Amino acid sequence: MKPRALRNLAVVMLLAAAPLALGQSGGVLHFCLHGEPKTFNPILVDDEASENIRYLTGGVLIRLNRQTQALEPGLAESWHVSKDGRTITFRLRKGLHFSDGTAFTSEDVGYTMKTLMDPQVHSPTGDAFRSGEGAIDVQTPTPDVVTITFPASVAGLERLFDQVAILSVHSPQKEMAVLGPFYVSEYKAGLYVELKRNPNYWRRDAQGHPLPYLDGIRLDIQRNRDIELLRFRRGELQLINRLDAESYQHLQKDDPNVARNAGAGLDSDHIWFNEVPSAPLAEYKKAWFRTTEFRKAVSLAINRDDICRIVFAGYAKPAYGPVSPANRFWFNAALPAPKYDPQGALRLLIQAGFRFANDELRDKAGNRVEFTLVTNSGNTVREKMAAMIQQDLSQIGIKVSVVTLDFPSLIERMTRTFDYEACLLGLVNTDLDPSGVMTVWLSSGENHQWNPNQKNPATPWEAEMDKLMREQASAIADKDRKKKFDRVQQIIYEQQPFIYLVNRDVLTAVSPAVVGVAPTVLNPQAFWNADVLQLGPAPQLGAQK
Amino acid sequence: MSAKRGLRICATFMLCAVGLLALGANIVAPYSYAHQFRDLPSSAPTATHLLGTDTLGRDMFSRLLYGTRVSLLLAPAAALLATLIAGVLGAAAGLLGGWWERSILAITDLSMALPLLFLLIALRAMLPLNVESVVSVVATFLMLGLLGWPSALRVVWAATRNIRQSDFLLLARSSGSGPLRLIFRQVLPNLRPVLLAQFWISIPVFILTEATLSMLGLGVMEPLPSWGNLLRGLEDFPAVSANPWRIAPLVLLILVVICFQLILPSQEDSV
Amino acid sequence: MIEINKASRAMRLVLWRVLVVLCLAVVGGLLSATLVRFSPGYGVDESELDPRLSHSSVEAIRNENRKNASLIRYYATYFAAAAHGDLGTSRSLRRPVAELLKERFPVTARSVLVGISTAWTMAFLLAILGLLFSGWLFEVSSTLLSGLLLSLPSAVIALFFVYLRAPVFLAIALVIFPKLFRFIRNLISQAYEQPHVLAARARGVGRTGIFLWHVVPYATPALLALLGISLGMAFGAAIPIEALCDSAGIGQLAWYAAINRDLPLIMNLTLIVTLVTVVSNYIADYSSRLIVSEP
Repeated sequence: MKPRALRNLAVVMLLAAAPLALGQSGGVLHFCLHGEPKTFNPILVDDEASENIRYLTGGVLIRLNRQTQALEPGLAESWHVSKDGRTITFRLRKGLHFSDGTAFTSEDVGYTMKTLMDPQVHSPTGDAFRSGEGAIDVQTPTPDVVTITFPASVAGLERLFDQVAILSVHSPQKEMAVLGPFYVSEYKAGLYVELKRNPNYWRRDAQGHPLPYLDGIRLDIQRNRDIELLRFRRGELQLINRLDAESYQHLQKDDPNVARNAGAGLDSDHIWFNEVPSAPLAEYKKAWFRTTEFRKAVSLAINRDDICRIVFAGYAKPAYGPVSPANRFWFNAALPAPKYDPQGALRLLIQAGFRFANDELRDKAGNRVEFTLVTNSGNTVREKMAAMIQQDLSQIGIKVSVVTLDFPSLIERMTRTFDYEACLLGLVNTDLDPSGVMTVWLSSGENHQWNPNQKNPATPWEAEMDKLMREQASAIADKDRKKKFDRVQQIIYEQQPFIYLVNRDVLTAVSPAVVGVAPTVLNPQAFWNADVLQLGPAPQLGAQK
Repeated sequence: MSAKRGLRICATFMLCAVGLLALGANIVAPYSYAHQFRDLPSSAPTATHLLGTDTLGRDMFSRLLYGTRVSLLLAPAAALLATLIAGVLGAAAGLLGGWWERSILAITDLSMALPLLFLLIALRAMLPLNVESVVSVVATFLMLGLLGWPSALRVVWAATRNIRQSDFLLLARSSGSGPLRLIFRQVLPNLRPVLLAQFWISIPVFILTEATLSMLGLGVMEPLPSWGNLLRGLEDFPAVSANPWRIAPLVLLILVVICFQLILPSQEDSV
Repeated sequence: MIEINKASRAMRLVLWRVLVVLCLAVVGGLLSATLVRFSPGYGVDESELDPRLSHSSVEAIRNENRKNASLIRYYATYFAAAAHGDLGTSRSLRRPVAELLKERFPVTARSVLVGISTAWTMAFLLAILGLLFSGWLFEVSSTLLSGLLLSLPSAVIALFFVYLRAPVFLAIALVIFPKLFRFIRNLISQAYEQPHVLAARARGVGRTGIFLWHVVPYATPALLALLGISLGMAFGAAIPIEALCDSAGIGQLAWYAAINRDLPLIMNLTLIVTLVTVVSNYIADYSSRLIVSEP
């Protein structure tokens, strides 16, 4: 421990001694991953830790600018999508090299795409491209031109390339040879991943200086968020992503410049009722859950403002649709804002044949309306939300019991046994495009959680959603797609299969030592522009205490 | 030793007071344990909320009273059960020796090493999702009692082996007492200090284990409070250091454990 | 001749013991594999919920996880591979179990051993201090201290240590210290009450003499047994503490394995924990027996 502390001290002193105006090149940025990266192979990435490493190390043909939400050229100078939406042609930058010195050519792109689309590989990134049966065709007429043809048109095709880190076909280092700003130099399982500056990174700043400025990044693997916060306050870490509201408040008390709020994020928390016909539940309960008025009444009776204010200390916005306003293009602004109206909820329930007497709600047959709400354990925020929903619904005579289960048990109930009544969970949205969530909205989808894997749509509105989702996926113009998806959002709003609760604000913490940070709502929030970040001589946070 | 007696009377008085307050929670508690005063989340102690409110605005004093009722009744019961099992098995192993001893010890070693967590997860799956809170609470503590014996067993066993050759046992044996009679009449009464020590140790352990169980969907579920889930609030360190009154449940737990230790006759008194 | 006989008998006894220990460890491993296999959520993967995955990829993930569904076949393949030093591959971490254990075991072993020594030293010092100053003030303060430590959730202790930046072994020491202390104190006072101690006292044997010649021999077997137990206890305490403190040892690994229902990892970890428990208990038994039979 000691030598490192001394070394850190030495670094701080050197930095303090150097006369600099803003930031300067060099230094190692230090922050945490919140889980073990499961793979360094960019093709197989499906967890957040690996995804962060892929973002920092992988070179992509097209990059989605996390701030403007617009596409920018990466390894490809330019690209062109054919009119039928099936073929994309890239013109690659010339003279680029992988981190180990191997030259980059169109052959590498072809190899990457073929590996990615190999049905045996089951790559989540590759699956996003799969729109029809059949193999892809890759042509590499010259070392800097590549043409990829898909069996059917792929909606939002260009945007998907933001996730495709190019592999080298010839490098002896295989997937460890990268084209991004950093490369993985060391990994100690359970402890840390060390990234070093890639000397062959292609980007330069406006003055023509090579990027990235940083010498490297050290990512400690730290699941415990309290420890992370503590270390940040001591000045050992310079960034925190996905800060919870409480920690944000503590930090803001220390120093308002350190805690950053990028506004409402893309992730949502929602509840849904189990509408699976084969679920082992009482028939009368299934009947309530299938009643639109019942779901709408529950939605009306939940006080979202209170949840935002109490559970999230005000750092969340009430949500009422599947798309967060943070998703600028796809959000349907025409949807009315949610209201809190327990009286209206009761009116709806009575219309649907329920009876309310002695503070108890009963259905036509006289059954007391009660259900269990399951959520994953160890998530205090969800536990609090569940407790608040419990009290809100008791006002319209519904008795809610809350049960927390560990994640594997919960997933088993959600996807296999269907032995639950209602569930409170969240969806992490990494993708702006609705095509990324096809399996959620198609009635045949795995993630159509209220009633997954249907052979035929159970309701007319689900049939309409299926039709609209398929149409938007095959439409080419984004304007047409948006019109279809707006209607989907409206159906979800009217039917409330998912009762959306909140969109959490994207909260991050950034040490004053880091220059150039601009946290965004899109992943990877605080370090999306890692290649232009600089370390300045700012004092350690902990020093003033 | 009058100072000690004074202390003991003090402790008895305190325990009785806590017990009475807990039993009379319905009458004493100013509010329901579940009601959320949403305008007053995380408030400091005031005249209306003696111990302040929790993050959802629920009155901490009322929650503490109800939580005491749940934990103070059931944790000692579970500890008693576990100590009894450990006592009987440990005494049997120490007294009988041979294969009995070896197999009991082997089972103990195994159950200490096995990940019993999965047994609990499986149990949760076997119970219906919506169990009455009383049933779930009683089942939880029963399980703790039934599973919590192995750590005490070896201690009891070692102590039994120590007295295996004592005169009173030889005497009892020669007068024809069977093993069961020997265990209950001779060995266990003689091991009282060891058993008591194990009993005290397991009470707080069970109270805290219950909190862990609620993470598996067992144990005391929201919004019913228990010392376990009240203590879980202590894990949020920055919040506790900012609101020191939040350690009230911990103070009460420590107080109760110490009172118990003071009241019941332990070995020191007779030295 | 007699000497040789004795030696070969001792040899046989040791071999027999080793065999028993190994059998127990294997039974422990098999039992825990069975527990995991039949616990709900087995073969479930969080990544199934990834909305990008196609139906066939989700099916592939499920099939991959069903691979160990037949327990008997799993046991057989496990032992066949284990004979060649291959302990299987962790499903959730996608790395060989042997490699993971080699990295993690020394970390835990160090904190457990140092933690135990610290706890024993503290408990002994305090118990002996109690003998020297047997006033009620000492009595009350030590009861208060151990009561305080007994009542503190180990999670809270762990986090407190993280806060103080103290090493993991201290947290382990503090968790097992109060249990040791109470036991040692009770044992020593019990020893002082024994008839032969009272008799020796009446004969006018000095304080030190009584302690060395009567109390220590009386207490030693139970203390040695306690040593074995404390090893098990420390190991048990290390699991939540390491998980909370994010110390990269066996404990953290076990917690991670449990959450992910990682059958190969859990089975091997149980094997190790059983081995540690059984061996430490055997050592304790054996040494206490040696001492008992000596006088």
